[in-house]
Amino acid sequence: MTTTTAPARTAAPATTTGAGRRRRRPFRLGGALLYVVLIVIAVIYIFPFLIDISTSFKTETDATNDPLGLLPPTWSVAAYTYLFANSDFPIWFVNSAVVTVAVTTGRTLFDSAAGYALARLRFGGRNALYAGFIAVMAVPGVVLLIPKFLVINQLGMFDSYSGMIVPLFADAAGVFIMKNFFESIPVAVEEAARIDGAGTLRTFWSVILPMARPALVTIVILSFQGSWNELAHFIVSTSSPDLYTLTKGVATLSSGAIGSAKRYPVQLGAAAIMTIPVAILFIAFQRRITNTASGAVKE
Amino acid sequence: MQRRTTRIAAGIAAAASVLALTACGSGFSGSGSSGSTASGGTGGLTSSKSALTVLIGSSGDAETAAVKSAVADWSQTSGTKATVQAASNLPQQLSQGFAAKKPADVFYLGSDTFASYAKQGDLLAYGDQLKNKSDYYPSLVTNFTYQGRFTCAPKDFSTLQLEINTDMWKAAGLTDSDVPTTWDQLATVAKKLTKGKVAGLVTSNEYQRLGAFMVQAGGNLTNDANTKSTVDSAANVKALTYVQDGLKAGWWKFTKDVGAGWGGEAFGKQEAAMTIEGNWIAGAMTTDYPKVHYKVVPLPAGPAGKGTLQFTNCWGIAADSKNQAAALKLVEQLTTAKDQLAFAKAFGVMPSIQSAASDWKSAFPQFAPFLDAASYAKGVPTSVGSADVVTDLNSKMAALKTADIKSLLATEQKNLSAVVPG
Amino acid sequence: MTSATARVPVRRHMAGIRRGQAASGYLFTAPAVIVLVVFLVIPIFMALWVSFSDWGGRGSPFASGVHFVGLKNYGALTGGGGLAEQDFGTALRNNLWFVILVVPTQTVIALLLAVLVNNRILKGRGFFRTAFYFPSVTSSVAITVLWYFLFNPTGAVNQLLGAVGLHGPNWPADASGVLHDLLSLVGLRTGPGFLVNGSFLGVTWWDWLSGPSVGMMIIITMVVFTTSGTFMLLFIAALQNLSQEVEEAAMVDGATAWQRFRLVTLPQLRTTLFTVLTLGLIGTWQVFDQVFVGSQGDPGKTTLTPAYLSYVAGFQNQDWGQAAAIAFILFAIIVFFTLVQRWVLRERGVSRRRMRRNGFDRNDSGEYAAADRLLTAAAVAGAVQNRDSSGGSL
Repeated sequence: MTTTTAPARTAAPATTTGAGRRRRRPFRLGGALLYVVLIVIAVIYIFPFLIDISTSFKTETDATNDPLGLLPPTWSVAAYTYLFANSDFPIWFVNSAVVTVAVTTGRTLFDSAAGYALARLRFGGRNALYAGFIAVMAVPGVVLLIPKFLVINQLGMFDSYSGMIVPLFADAAGVFIMKNFFESIPVAVEEAARIDGAGTLRTFWSVILPMARPALVTIVILSFQGSWNELAHFIVSTSSPDLYTLTKGVATLSSGAIGSAKRYPVQLGAAAIMTIPVAILFIAFQRRITNTASGAVKE
Repeated sequence: MQRRTTRIAAGIAAAASVLALTACGSGFSGSGSSGSTASGGTGGLTSSKSALTVLIGSSGDAETAAVKSAVADWSQTSGTKATVQAASNLPQQLSQGFAAKKPADVFYLGSDTFASYAKQGDLLAYGDQLKNKSDYYPSLVTNFTYQGRFTCAPKDFSTLQLEINTDMWKAAGLTDSDVPTTWDQLATVAKKLTKGKVAGLVTSNEYQRLGAFMVQAGGNLTNDANTKSTVDSAANVKALTYVQDGLKAGWWKFTKDVGAGWGGEAFGKQEAAMTIEGNWIAGAMTTDYPKVHYKVVPLPAGPAGKGTLQFTNCWGIAADSKNQAAALKLVEQLTTAKDQLAFAKAFGVMPSIQSAASDWKSAFPQFAPFLDAASYAKGVPTSVGSADVVTDLNSKMAALKTADIKSLLATEQKNLSAVVPG
Repeated sequence: MTSATARVPVRRHMAGIRRGQAASGYLFTAPAVIVLVVFLVIPIFMALWVSFSDWGGRGSPFASGVHFVGLKNYGALTGGGGLAEQDFGTALRNNLWFVILVVPTQTVIALLLAVLVNNRILKGRGFFRTAFYFPSVTSSVAITVLWYFLFNPTGAVNQLLGAVGLHGPNWPADASGVLHDLLSLVGLRTGPGFLVNGSFLGVTWWDWLSGPSVGMMIIITMVVFTTSGTFMLLFIAALQNLSQEVEEAAMVDGATAWQRFRLVTLPQLRTTLFTVLTLGLIGTWQVFDQVFVGSQGDPGKTTLTPAYLSYVAGFQNQDWGQAAAIAFILFAIIVFFTLVQRWVLRERGVSRRRMRRNGFDRNDSGEYAAADRLLTAAAVAGAVQNRDSSGGSL
């Protein structure tokens, strides 16, 4: 039983080594200066988002004439009314949600299964496969814009949900993260399960995966954020307006056709709403996210 | 050593899968050959029960609604289902559709890009099968003729003229007799109208506006038959020098310099006393800037007389459409005088057929200068690749105020010569 | 450390229950492998073929009417004096300046933020970390929309500049190069003859030296704003790994904070610094989203990037062969930087012979684990950061 607690500890190393250890040092003038500097920088980082929100509640004239004010001179929800009542915004939102949930589910399953196999199971060509994953990770995404369209098109998946979702299951980095995680789990637990007569699949599903929760959370965060914010792939894989995602839809708002002036409150309102789900995820898993990279760098 | 073999193995595996894909790819292409025979213009149109998709590059909700209602009417009488889609990025959606072999059946096509699609065999050349073939303006038919074949029916057209803010005009002490008819007069009134934040004349820096002055000076980017590049002609130099003088004197400003997206925006926000736009400006003024009073007058004549640019779209029909016969019928309906006048009312275009001209003029007397220009307006280059050259020219003309006009035009002459067939 | 000791008995035991594992192994990896092969490996080979063909974008590129045209597509980009060459040269120029400005700036800011936030007596570290990192998780589309609003000619940025008495430029429309602007301040408005007359890829040497345009500065500041948080996390992680003893010894020796940072901390951060620089280089060569949403190459083609040019060539102009060729040249540039990184790291750490001898055997030595950790970090940062480039899945 003692072994089951071990992985949890390895999973969140930053808390045990970094933040946990404190050093005493006298508070000096430099300390006050540090706070001033940090607060100034924090304001610079946060201010744009505040402007975004306040502008979305302004009238179009106020948005142009008073771009800095954080309180709208006249409060207006016209931008939001337009987005939800007179545009395809709700469709975009639903599409983004569908794709994100599907991609996140798929990636989590695929990554953990492959990661587990690469870490634990012995089979011919394992090293070659692993090398392949690493090589594939080095391929820059933007190079794939055109080729991906060609393949999706060739497979008859163009302009469909499957064309939007399935290619995004490809996630070598996730496999990599999962493999490293599984290697850090002691084998004893699996062995106990095996001796009880459980097959590989059952061991994986009911013993390994529950233990892998911290790493799974990492994968969920990365794929949620990755697919919610994805633009290029949806540009190449779809064309019908029914399949627009938030990223693609909001991109069209900003490049308005001739005869339409720039409607800043509408654009910024849309930008604000599309940030909310990621912001919620971010706040919910804030600790985990800021430790994601830390966990990766450390063993 | 071990790593090298694995890499080779991976390469072989990948190559094998590509081959597999190739095989299934050629299977795909077999089905498409029927489309290419139809594009041979033999009159053998494909016909089926399949519904039509109409892809439009809409200027806004008014246009989308008008096309939707016209197409719905046709569906009802013909019994063939048809849906209208407003593209957010027409060229991209067309390209993807053609590559996927599931293009829209009927779609908007600009005269500047139509040739590149025609060249790939994407389009059904159906012009000669149109019942009202002889009713279209001849210059529009020329625009949509590729390698001697009248390919697609002109949808409508637009021309550029001068719009004047009448309140500012009066405030500057100008009267109807001051309406400029020469370049010098234009400069004079524009100087009078330039005050504080208001510039006398604001236009975009594109050839699609400034080109009108090239025509007035007797030039254009190509000759009328689109067979020879004439970018570096003396007339064009004269035209751009005139614009440059205006920019230097301050009575002419580019939209980007006043932070506007297009001339109509600067004009509507009253940052410009005059602008040069086409008939599409009417809709925007009514909906976005109803309080601004303005009138449309012909552009002044240049050294070579009157001149302006015309723009046009056609109704393309895909070579891969499964129901070309129905598509042709739909296009014939959409180009009738009745439908075109309805479009004109909804979003300010001008009918592409001569028989609708008088009705249009009596419906929109205040915009008569636009339609009058049909007799003397010139088109934009249409050869494959010329749109890229125009884009490049536009990007260079952004700095026209300080540019060396001759070398600017010489570069583009070289670029355009490379793509103009003659 | 704990895992390393646990692994030895594991191996021995594993040998005993190896039966049936091969089947499961293939079963477990199959989904991920198939997806990667179909949507990553095959596309690359398909595009490679297209880049050597005259496929015009109608139907399959493997149809009988499509011909092999050799290096024609590549040739049009790298020579011939046409518009294609000019555009490609311009796009490379723009992106090069983008890289030169963004990579050092984001690295320095990220390191600075990490050092500030890593202070152990600091209260509210979580808040500051969150604030600095938040821009990194938001969508590039949302940020681009916001940034172009802030930088419009009468927008927030110019109002702030106006408040301190400066007249801000017309950011989105100003195509003049920043370096050219600076030179014109000292009266140098046209370049010397040898720079104006010579050219490379259709762009004169003088224009290569223009610096990023004022319009490009919008995208530059935006990308620095969104990526510095990501890289800050990598630096924080590395800082927390540093040995405390050395720094404490230095403190006892009476070294100032700056000396400690420069002589003790910085050398220990070398690996991370290198990772951040390389990831930065790889990411910045792929700018696409911001151009697609914000500028479409304007003003005056000065924000055209190879990635966006490739998209336009293919999806708008139906010049698929050339589009694919641009993508592969870009690929070559990025692979080059990746290889340079590998090479430098290898020189420094793991002995080459040893690495080769052991291949990917995990139980070899700590050095492999170090390289492995680095790759994981790269993977995470890359996944986090991919929204800043094209968004393509890793």
